[in-house]
Amino acid sequence: MDKMIDDEMLVAQFKSGSQKAFDELMKRHERKIFGYLLRSVRNYEDAEELTLEVFFKAYRALASWEPKAKFTTWLYTIASNLAIDYHRSKSRQPVYMLEDEDVIEARLVATDISSNPEKHLEDKERGRIIREAVDELSAKQKTVFMLTRYEGLQIREVAETLGMAEGTVKIHLHRAIKKLQTILRPLWENNEI
Amino acid sequence: MPKCNKSEAQAIDYVYGELDASQVVDFERHLSTCNSCTQKVNAFKRVLHFVDEAEEELTSHVTVPHNLEMKLYRRLAETPPVKPSLSSRLSEFLARSLLILQEQKVASICIFTFAVITVAFFVGNPFRPAPTFDMSQIDSADARIEQYRHQDIQRSMEDVLRKKHLRNSDKWDTVSDLNRVKDQAQGTDWANIAKKQLKSVHSEL
Repeated sequence: MDKMIDDEMLVAQFKSGSQKAFDELMKRHERKIFGYLLRSVRNYEDAEELTLEVFFKAYRALASWEPKAKFTTWLYTIASNLAIDYHRSKSRQPVYMLEDEDVIEARLVATDISSNPEKHLEDKERGRIIREAVDELSAKQKTVFMLTRYEGLQIREVAETLGMAEGTVKIHLHRAIKKLQTILRPLWENNEI
Repeated sequence: MPKCNKSEAQAIDYVYGELDASQVVDFERHLSTCNSCTQKVNAFKRVLHFVDEAEEELTSHVTVPHNLEMKLYRRLAETPPVKPSLSSRLSEFLARSLLILQEQKVASICIFTFAVITVAFFVGNPFRPAPTFDMSQIDSADARIEQYRHQDIQRSMEDVLRKKHLRNSDKWDTVSDLNRVKDQAQGTDWANIAKKQLKSVHSEL
């Protein structure tokens, strides 16, 4: 399908009965949504299940969706709500992607660890500690941080996505960064990361 | 050393790229003289750098799950379709009707009129007045019945007179027939005619 066709046009085509239009929308955004949810929930299977849920909800609601905002904003709204619900419902500790055998295998292929295995393990441990710090953030702080930092959304767009005032988004963002600094600063000052 | 009048939030906004151009110039001018804010900015930059590295490490080798589309459509097939609420169906119907009326006025009015006539035909027109008796029709019916009665009496009288003429000898049969016609013609002129004929026959007896 033509890449020049914007999302809103594809939505209109879907409403007119074109199934291919939805396939194209999914193909365009599944990677971003999956990546966002993976960062949020830290578990491959759960991220996959939530990504499926995002597109399932989108498919069922798209017929009545009015394009007041960008289609991607709407997708991130669904994904963010699911992620926040996930964090509220899950009391267990996050399972890190790096524990996943598939990812470790992928990393073995991508990285020549034989050249410096100690550094590889140090990097892996440091990454785990830092991500644990990120997971210390509240669900809303983490969502705001992820959306602004890794999904490229402006404060205004995050406010729209989460149904918050821009000032509230900024407060969550400030608190998130301050909290990260409070957790991580002692670690790098003690050379632990 | 001048007292610092900048908030921590401004330092975060600066690091995060949330200040506009004039605010950036102002803040950078302040940084050149404020050691405290410079340290804060460096600390925030370092935090974000660490986190960016860790997050990149997590997702850089990850691929999107296979067959996500197939899984979605399988799930959609297993799930009953969304049933719209009564209010949404009603509002949709009204909206569509209005749209059709706006776009195809003539055709819609014809269809609407046809529908009303059809409903009125099968269901009955609720605005139709209650049925009443048409007196003029009844009057004319009575007149018609009376007319037929006169024709019957006339036919009977003609039949009696014809028989009277044919059976000259049997006058009692004629008397009997004339009495029957006289009873039939009660209240009409034919009754008087029948009496006159009876009188005439009796005189011949």
